[in-house]
Amino acid sequence: MIIVKDLKRYYGTGDMTVKALKGVSFEINKGEFVAIMGASGSGKTTLLRILALLDDATDGEYTIRGLEVSSLPEAERSYYRLTQVGYVFQDYALINEMSAAENVYILSMMEGKSKKESYTTALEALAKVGLEGKHDRIPDELSGGEKQRVAIARAIAKKPDILFADEPCANLDTVNSKQVLDVFKELNEKYGQTIVMVTHELWHTDYVHRVITFQDGSILSDEKKTKGQ
Amino acid sequence: MINDIRVGALIAYCSVKRGNKKTLIFIVFVLSLIFLNLVFLPSMIGGLSGLFTGFMRDYPYGDIVIEPTGDNTYINNADLVLKKVRAVEGVRAATKRLDAGASINHKQKVVGATITGLLPTEEYDISRYPYIINEGDFLGELSRDEIIIGAMIAGTGFGAEIYDNLGEVRPGALVDVTYSNGVKRTYKVKGIMTGSIEVVDLNALVNYKEIEDVYGLEGKEATSIVVRVNKEGTEAQIQDKIREAGVNEEIFTWADKSEALIKQAMQSMGAIDIMSKIVSLIVGAALVLIIIYINVLNRKKEIGILKAVGITPRSIVLSYAFLSTFYVCLGISAGLILYLSLMLYFQMNPVTFYETMEISPTIDPMLLIQSIATMLTLSVIAGILPAWSVSKESILKAIWGR
Ligand SMILES: Nc1ncnc2c1ncn2[C@@H]1O[C@H](COP(=O)(O)OP(=O)(O)O)[C@@H](O)[C@H]1O
Ligand SMILES: [Mg+2]
Repeated sequence: MIIVKDLKRYYGTGDMTVKALKGVSFEINKGEFVAIMGASGSGKTTLLRILALLDDATDGEYTIRGLEVSSLPEAERSYYRLTQVGYVFQDYALINEMSAAENVYILSMMEGKSKKESYTTALEALAKVGLEGKHDRIPDELSGGEKQRVAIARAIAKKPDILFADEPCANLDTVNSKQVLDVFKELNEKYGQTIVMVTHELWHTDYVHRVITFQDGSILSDEKKTKGQ
Repeated sequence: MINDIRVGALIAYCSVKRGNKKTLIFIVFVLSLIFLNLVFLPSMIGGLSGLFTGFMRDYPYGDIVIEPTGDNTYINNADLVLKKVRAVEGVRAATKRLDAGASINHKQKVVGATITGLLPTEEYDISRYPYIINEGDFLGELSRDEIIIGAMIAGTGFGAEIYDNLGEVRPGALVDVTYSNGVKRTYKVKGIMTGSIEVVDLNALVNYKEIEDVYGLEGKEATSIVVRVNKEGTEAQIQDKIREAGVNEEIFTWADKSEALIKQAMQSMGAIDIMSKIVSLIVGAALVLIIIYINVLNRKKEIGILKAVGITPRSIVLSYAFLSTFYVCLGISAGLILYLSLMLYFQMNPVTFYETMEISPTIDPMLLIQSIATMLTLSVIAGILPAWSVSKESILKAIWGR
């Protein structure tokens, strides 16, 4: 599904160059739930942003379902972000002036769906993350876990090929973290959603099939976990 | 594109609905002041020129004035012209006048003035001269050795410090007048007139017959024929009718005259007006731009997020165009309310100018429409520019600042 070949990302130039990704290669299959781990500064966020088309690689290849997405023009990348890729930010990144439903259905409207259809899609997505009845609340009226679940609803309402999440539980307590991880697990098991999640909590790996560990911009290890663990 | 518009509208709607109301009020308030600044001074100047044309109608020109053609000094056969004019439907009254240049002399003091010869009894229906005699009396039909002197020449009224005057001449005093052809006459001052404007108060009035006599005219000449109409607004029609009636002299409506006059006498005013408009526009444009730019900068992260989740930059730019149009519409509405209240206030309490001239501002719909159109155009540009430049930034930079 995803094939990454020798991906490099350097920040800055000359002596100041930071080699955040030093040439990583891996593949992710459809339906996998992958955790990316590694110390702070090891390049996890950098990788995820490139995979979600929020940033450009310095070098290397990146294909999703056979499509070389790294070289798409910006307008198409934008459309790709809208329709194929879900991204969950560490700090939720919700629009504070929009209700939970609006935060989600603005994307369907952007895709050209009618207001009614968009609204239905949004309510469905909010139900999937366990937020029935809270669609009218604005972010300020929601807990951190609820906000993150709205963000997940926003990311999955379009039924994306892949869902990326960058430390989605970093700002949440254990109870809220569990709720969010349960949502991911359910999305993965029930709907076959491919998920790539960055985390640094070891216990989070209980939820996933595979753990890729980063160190200094390179892959240190790539381990499959046996299901049900 | 239609999706861009829908999404842009949704973003704008949400940010108005749930955005900070205090900021909204502040922005609208500032915008209303910008609007007020755009329209207020021109209205005052409009009031001033309105006042000015009012004087022109009340004294030298009436509603319509007929003057000699070309280089002629006089309208020949003035009585025939008068007869034709009076027969025109819609004309309320008409009279003839004879203007002459002269110097007036009283106890060693000399001032130059225009002396208007007029038919005293006819003037009651034509001008306000008979009603502004604040010392003494107006001329009678048979007055021949009597003169009415403007307050500024007499030295009794306002402006005595500015203009040469005769040093407090009172009714009953004798003045010597030397006409432009050298003829000398002595008149008794019958009254002092105060019109609060130079064209009146630096002037003097005598009986029409006097001027005829002095210049040896034969009862047919006039320097102007002043016409009053029954209904305001019919001046131009009546001007045509007078022409059709066979009057071949120059015929001006008060509007023709004041246009020329305002061009002359108010040229500097006009320049101030235009300059103040330009300055207001620049200041207004800058302020609108700054307000909206700050607003956009505050939402830089939001713009980045919207882009990151796949909202097109065009929708984002559109949302700001909608937003700023909305702000400016509110600002204009508030500005209009402020403006109209100020207008109402100044119409009830006119500003006094020259001690006695009362200026109340006029509302010029053209000016209002112009200003509204300008503000709206500005707002769209001011909304689009900053949003466009931020939406061009990379997502990473917009959201995370690097
Ligand atoms: N925009 C940037 N400019 C310069 N250096 C950056 C930028 N973003 C990240 N880095 C650097 O790249 C390295 C990897 O960062 P990141 O991918 O955020 O790590 P992680 O998410 O694993 O903590 C770090 O050394 C970080 O300082
Ligand atoms: Mg990170």
